[in-house]
Amino acid sequence: MIPWLGVKWIALLPAVLLAAPDTFETAVAPVTTRYCGACHNAKARAGNLNLAFSSAREAFVDPEIWEEVVAKLANGQMPPKGLPRPTGAELRAATSYLTAELTRLARSRKPDPGRVTARRLNRAEYDATIRDVLGLEADAASGFPADDAGYGFDNIGDVLSLSPLLMEKYLAAADRISRQLIWTGPALRPTLHRILSNREEQARRVQPDDPDGYPYPPGAFEARHRFPVDAEYSLIIKVTDRRADKTPIVPVSFFLDGEKLGTFNVQDGEYQQGEWEVRRFVAAGEHTLYGAFPDDYIQSGPRDPQIPGSPIERRIFVDLFEVRGPNNHDPSRSSAYQRLMRCDSDPATEDCARKIAARTGRALYRRPLEAAETDRLLNLYRLARTQGDSFDHGVQLMVKAMLVSPQFLFRVEPASRDNRSLTPVELASRLAYFLWGSAPDEPLLSAAETGRLAETAVLDAEIKRLLADPRSGSLAGNFAGQWLQLRNLKTAQPDPARFPAFNEGLREAMMAETRLFFENVVREDRPVTDFLDANYTYLNARLARHYGVEGVSGRQMRRVELNRPERRGVLTHASILTISSYPTRTSPVLRGLWVLDNFLGAPPPPPPGDVPPLDEQKIGLDAPLRKQLEQHRANAACAVCHDRIDPIGFALENYDPIGRWRSQDGKFPIDAAGNLPDGRSFQDAAGFMKILAADRDAFTRALAGKLLTYALGRGLERYDREAVDSIAEATRRDGYRFGAMVRAIVQSMPFRMRRGEIIAKGQERQ
Amino acid sequence: MTPRKLNRRAVLRGVGTIIGLPFLDAMVPAFGSPAREGSKQPLRLAVAYVPNGIIMDQWTPGEAPGATPGEANAEAIGERGSAFRMPRIMEPLAPFHNDLVVFSGLTHNNGRALKDGPGDHARAAASFLTGVHPRKTAGADIQNGVSFDQVAAQALGKQTRFASLELGCEQAGIVGNCDSGYSCAYSNSLAWRSETTPLPPEVNPRLVFERLFGTGDEPRDPAQREKQRLYNRSVLDLVGQDAARLASRLGTSDKRKLDEYLTGIREIETRLDAAEKRARDDKPDFVPSVDKPSGIPVEFQEHARLMFDMQVLAFQAGLTRVATLMLGREGSNRTYPEIGVPDAHHGMTHHKGEPEKIEKITKINRYHVEQLAYFLDRLKSTRDGDGTLLEHTMVLYGSGLADGNRHTHHDLPVAVAGGGAWKKGRHLRYPVETPLTNLFLVMLDRMGVRPETLGDSTGRLEHLTDL
Repeated sequence: MIPWLGVKWIALLPAVLLAAPDTFETAVAPVTTRYCGACHNAKARAGNLNLAFSSAREAFVDPEIWEEVVAKLANGQMPPKGLPRPTGAELRAATSYLTAELTRLARSRKPDPGRVTARRLNRAEYDATIRDVLGLEADAASGFPADDAGYGFDNIGDVLSLSPLLMEKYLAAADRISRQLIWTGPALRPTLHRILSNREEQARRVQPDDPDGYPYPPGAFEARHRFPVDAEYSLIIKVTDRRADKTPIVPVSFFLDGEKLGTFNVQDGEYQQGEWEVRRFVAAGEHTLYGAFPDDYIQSGPRDPQIPGSPIERRIFVDLFEVRGPNNHDPSRSSAYQRLMRCDSDPATEDCARKIAARTGRALYRRPLEAAETDRLLNLYRLARTQGDSFDHGVQLMVKAMLVSPQFLFRVEPASRDNRSLTPVELASRLAYFLWGSAPDEPLLSAAETGRLAETAVLDAEIKRLLADPRSGSLAGNFAGQWLQLRNLKTAQPDPARFPAFNEGLREAMMAETRLFFENVVREDRPVTDFLDANYTYLNARLARHYGVEGVSGRQMRRVELNRPERRGVLTHASILTISSYPTRTSPVLRGLWVLDNFLGAPPPPPPGDVPPLDEQKIGLDAPLRKQLEQHRANAACAVCHDRIDPIGFALENYDPIGRWRSQDGKFPIDAAGNLPDGRSFQDAAGFMKILAADRDAFTRALAGKLLTYALGRGLERYDREAVDSIAEATRRDGYRFGAMVRAIVQSMPFRMRRGEIIAKGQERQ
Repeated sequence: MTPRKLNRRAVLRGVGTIIGLPFLDAMVPAFGSPAREGSKQPLRLAVAYVPNGIIMDQWTPGEAPGATPGEANAEAIGERGSAFRMPRIMEPLAPFHNDLVVFSGLTHNNGRALKDGPGDHARAAASFLTGVHPRKTAGADIQNGVSFDQVAAQALGKQTRFASLELGCEQAGIVGNCDSGYSCAYSNSLAWRSETTPLPPEVNPRLVFERLFGTGDEPRDPAQREKQRLYNRSVLDLVGQDAARLASRLGTSDKRKLDEYLTGIREIETRLDAAEKRARDDKPDFVPSVDKPSGIPVEFQEHARLMFDMQVLAFQAGLTRVATLMLGREGSNRTYPEIGVPDAHHGMTHHKGEPEKIEKITKINRYHVEQLAYFLDRLKSTRDGDGTLLEHTMVLYGSGLADGNRHTHHDLPVAVAGGGAWKKGRHLRYPVETPLTNLFLVMLDRMGVRPETLGDSTGRLEHLTDL
């Protein structure tokens, strides 16, 4: 036996020696002591960080710091440039030990689905829910105070507070919506609304694709109008013809929400005015009226000879719209009313009222009502009847109560002592508000109530159905609008003196480009990597001109394939380039931060309080911006972060503050080349985009984090790391498809479960 | 389409109808009646906040800017040309120098980092009226203190239809990070009803007007109104029960949300009670002297003035005694091309001593003060009981940052105009680090609310009537 043992021992010995498992003391401590210790010691505590630990135990009291250490070592951000760096072997040993240890720690922790606070419907969700459940474009929420954002999104339960003012607005909105839905007043008498075009604006237009003029074709006019009720209206378009000879006869087309109502000819030379009326049944809510002349009609008259460079006067144009109505308003013809009042009992009986309450309550509360709840609602109906009011009044009062009930205004999931899975009905709500920003519809709700939604195949099919539905456009407006910060474009104010090309038409086109692009990724289930390097986008004439792309005419946005390296992916959209600039100039810092935060999920920490933010506004006068920023980075404290931020921003310097391509900034030529702290380098924007495309896994992970935050309505915590990793991994495995990411999120533990908590003691109302 | 310029004095009037009442107060003009000539009127509180600090040497009056450490002192302030300096930013207030007290040396220590790192803008707004250090969080568990205007509102609010009004001139729709890891709630709101409930401001003057004076489609018939009240009360009853029942099944953080809900319901019920009690008083409707605004004006000045108009109306009609206005969100990047400043406000305040930028910020600061002068003028020209509305209103103007370039929270720009029985027409200098909350305590005393402390207060501010 002994020889055996000896042989075995001896045989194993070299292997053991070679593979002696790394420990904190052998792999990490030497590196941190030697390369980090000069600044991150107990005394200096640079960045409030002390890495002088005597043991692994002490070191891992707060594991979070090591996550940052690994990240900063790996991307070359630390140690700062100019100081000695660990060798490749040292670096590998330290980071692989730390990564393994962190993973082990994460696995040993009890899984935690996190705390999601009851979410009040935010403004967008409120309007969408009313629209989808009641069939009413109430547009009530625009009168609510703005929802505050947290973690970059305005659907975060903890931040969505309810002020007394908002409560008051909820009550007023419930009153208005219930009255709009069930018209108990006298039928509306017709009224006349006249919407005048702005002649001055129209006259600014010279050519159909004049980039800086009126954003519509010559003489055209567009207006929004709110129709008070479902009814027939007379829609009238008036055209003025100021041409001396009144020839040729020019047809004008009249549209409602993009649908052509008809085309007619301007003929009445004597009175110089043509008028045309069409009667239509129009649903209550806001609609768009549009009148335009054919694209090939171009006014070729001379400019005013008295004023050099002045635009010509438009001689023929849409003068105004009139909306007359409602004609023969019959409240019972409204589709929303009919949908609400449907019941298979005798009409106008209490039994019927009960059915309406149960059905509407289920859709608004997103779950079946308990019998007692229906009874309480029915008491309101009875009250109205005993007061001598009609059946309709009674239903109106019930609807009003439902619309101010906390069951409607909040998405509530009852608490439990231990972590629990969501019920299928709760899951349906989370799913619908995630993908639609609205309540679950009938198919989803009944799949939940029968329990079938718990089956993976059914759930997958529902996800697919929801994404393909137009309501998933809410992801573009609400998720992408905030993830890409696109909403800021609405308030961007590029200096009109410096950028006269920026006008409302361009703003709209920029907004539409990114929005349509995002919607395409969602609906077509494209890879998320399209955001990084797609060679297609959406343009109209105005935006194409802005980009220097030829062959796109008209104001309709349409998909355009691009084969130019300088326009690839969302980062080269004018929208993003504009919102990441100052009103008067570009900002490499803002753009660099934008990319790090939104695309790479690696925002650098805010500058320390005692260092004023990098001043980059005093620029362009005596030295190129780049020179000045480089001087600033000579300061090691600034360089740590700005070595990461600035090169990204510089890569995009060829795009001016409104996203146009340029090769000069003032008198200085643009130099877009740069080096990243990890050693990779690029010559220009296209080169940088290639690097970014190569980093698609980092991008995918960042996007997964943002989308999960939005889906959950809470900020992500350390314990969510594994969920994010596995969502990103599942996305990668499935060709980076957007749908795969959504499925993985819906399958993830934080989405499917609720953390256990102490149940608050019930507080009875006095 | 290019947004059309909105006419401030637009709409509604011509129809010749008396403006109805908001739905809630269906509900009768409970307290919505102007003061009788010669009657004793209560003191109101109006706060106007400006973001991003002020160029202090163009703000501070007097010949020798800079506080004398250690002791308080005072000097008279006067019109331009007199012995005492009215600096450029202050100049628009020259006609009101006898209604004004300017303060130096007051500090919000809780606006400072105190180990929380960056985020001075968020802290500036959050601490301004609370004197409390807000919890640093991007969302989870936001926490601040109750703001002093709300201390007044909660004590006095039952006497008027609205406990308080919160107004703003800038939409909060900005996305992305508001300030270095702080939730946007901190930079968007001044008023905090509870430690966890900020009161976001209303920015649309039309909606403010409709809230105060109704949309015009409320029932006029008393029997109809009576029935409406009954219905509303029953609806509130039912949803209140819903909330209480729900709360018993929730965890603590969810329950907090339900508490906010119940607070809102109770406030409305209180108002209903009051409306019912006064229903038979039969006072005449208050007819506002300003027409219903049509929306949010594009230009800042027009917007700001409308918001001040709304406060004048609300005070005049006795609808509230407390109003706060954020002329901009803290950290605002608004541009002011109409006064030759097309640059983003906040970006520019990090001027590093560059004269050109300092000049532009000075212009913005002065532009803001011009709007304050408009407000004071409106208050002064409005009769109110035995005097003018200005005599019965304490107007606090200021910012939670002094130097926007360095983010300082000491020696804050603060001025108080109007009523409150103080010795006016003075510039008071206090020893460095005197808490601003000490001033607020005195203001609350004047309102008849006498809390022991507020935020980091160390006592009542002295020398308001002497020196």
